[in-house]
Amino acid sequence: MSTNLSGKYAIVGVGQSPLGKVPEMGPIGLFAVAARNAIEDAGLTKQDVDGLITRGPDDVYCHHQRVGEALGLNVTFSTSTANGGASQTMAVAMACMAIEAGVCNTVVVGYGRDTWSRTHRNAEAKQAVASRPRTYSEFGSEFGQFGAPVNYAIAARRHMERFGTTKAQLGAIAVAFRNHARRNPHAFMQKPLDLDEYLSARLIVDPLCLYDCSVFIDGAGAVVVTTAERARDLRQPPAYVLGFGFGNRLSGWFTDDNMITTGAREAGEAAYKMAGIGPRDVDTAQVYDCFTHMVLLQLEDYGFCAKGEGGPFVASGALEAGGVLPTNTSGGQLSEGHIEGMLQVLEGARQVRREHTPDRQVKDCNIALVTGHGGNTVCQSALILGREAG
Amino acid sequence: MSEYNKPLPPPSVESEPFWDGCRRHELLVPRCDACSHHWFPATTTCPECWSTDWVWSRVSGKGKIYSFGVYHRAYHKGFADELPYALVVVELDEGPRLTTNVVGCKPEELSCDMPVEVVFDDVTDDRTLYKFKRVNDP
Repeated sequence: MSTNLSGKYAIVGVGQSPLGKVPEMGPIGLFAVAARNAIEDAGLTKQDVDGLITRGPDDVYCHHQRVGEALGLNVTFSTSTANGGASQTMAVAMACMAIEAGVCNTVVVGYGRDTWSRTHRNAEAKQAVASRPRTYSEFGSEFGQFGAPVNYAIAARRHMERFGTTKAQLGAIAVAFRNHARRNPHAFMQKPLDLDEYLSARLIVDPLCLYDCSVFIDGAGAVVVTTAERARDLRQPPAYVLGFGFGNRLSGWFTDDNMITTGAREAGEAAYKMAGIGPRDVDTAQVYDCFTHMVLLQLEDYGFCAKGEGGPFVASGALEAGGVLPTNTSGGQLSEGHIEGMLQVLEGARQVRREHTPDRQVKDCNIALVTGHGGNTVCQSALILGREAG
Repeated sequence: MSEYNKPLPPPSVESEPFWDGCRRHELLVPRCDACSHHWFPATTTCPECWSTDWVWSRVSGKGKIYSFGVYHRAYHKGFADELPYALVVVELDEGPRLTTNVVGCKPEELSCDMPVEVVFDDVTDDRTLYKFKRVNDP
């Protein structure tokens, strides 16, 4: 037996730190600023917070304890998550579950990392990168397997050969998100990008080029989750949590056809069912975009087009402002900056709050889908936010 | 002969028999005694039926390319002279997929589902890597 939590909880505050190159702040400091801003946005105070779910650099042991220490917080429920880029959407769902279970009432959820500065802050940081001991894993590094892009390049290649997907179609994703970023003053990448420039960019791991890869920046984002009942008395219009779902194909990215149809299929089906909606009801998507190809795969798996038709779908202009599915309307990780999906949670809430200026606001926005994926690419989480409770 | 300068991570307790097989120019993968499933890399339990009874089984070495990515940037100096080079996922006829290189052809000659077969490259006195070549290539 299950209880439907749809519409019972809401995001009531959103906040972010400065984004971009912020060498004067460390990862915990960035998080603290975002959390403070989210609580202030909600019209709440530190004393109202009794839950904390965080993620940051993987080398920070018990990250939530460091964040709680910086914020002087004592709470009933707190933990750090370890599901890679699937963590942030999952953490909002975990907050709802924790409140439903009665262990807390008002939860701060967030992510922060000094991703640019940790390798560029000063001479010591640069030296540390150059001299760090490298560890190699067997069955890969012997053959030249290094870094994340190759996993997505291999998936893109398979998709291209099976369905006829093209580089220019992946380019349509990069260009659409850059166009969104140029309307967002906080986005890191403000230079115009067109398809010609995309197609002539240097290759990283073919078929992926520079503009297929997300932009590493410093920054943090946080949201406040509480009950719908409480939300109605607070400062901002609530972004109701209408649905969430998960799909974790832990058997592996290279196993079966997991890189063609991902766990996003299961995550989406569960989230839509909980919300009582389908993909046609979604007004805007905020999709985890570490690489362009993952956007295309998720659009298929979340049901916006059939499997294999992601290429023509994105090339139709669907993701642009005024398109059938304006997507990553703050610029996404490809152009606003990579904060592990947390900024996509913020943007989904902002869109259903309808707080943007008209050039950035999705018209009549009622429902936003927010997605995350990570953890060696196989973990997927989905979140559906609504302007109304149901 | 110049010194071999690409990474050679030491075998783990579970992979040592595999690398010993490579040294003898034999491709070995775990095969479950209970359900005949083949998998890779080795673990204590069959991922299909969770049986702990399995053996290292010599396989045909034939398969096809599942997919590949072509590096245009060197992340390791040992590969700088080989750019562009392809990292290839090969699916063996018995089912398991291996990450590897395909020798004897350029990246632009590769395609998904291309038939390939194993070759062994004795890269140092005590290490041999499994690689693949196109079927019918010399």
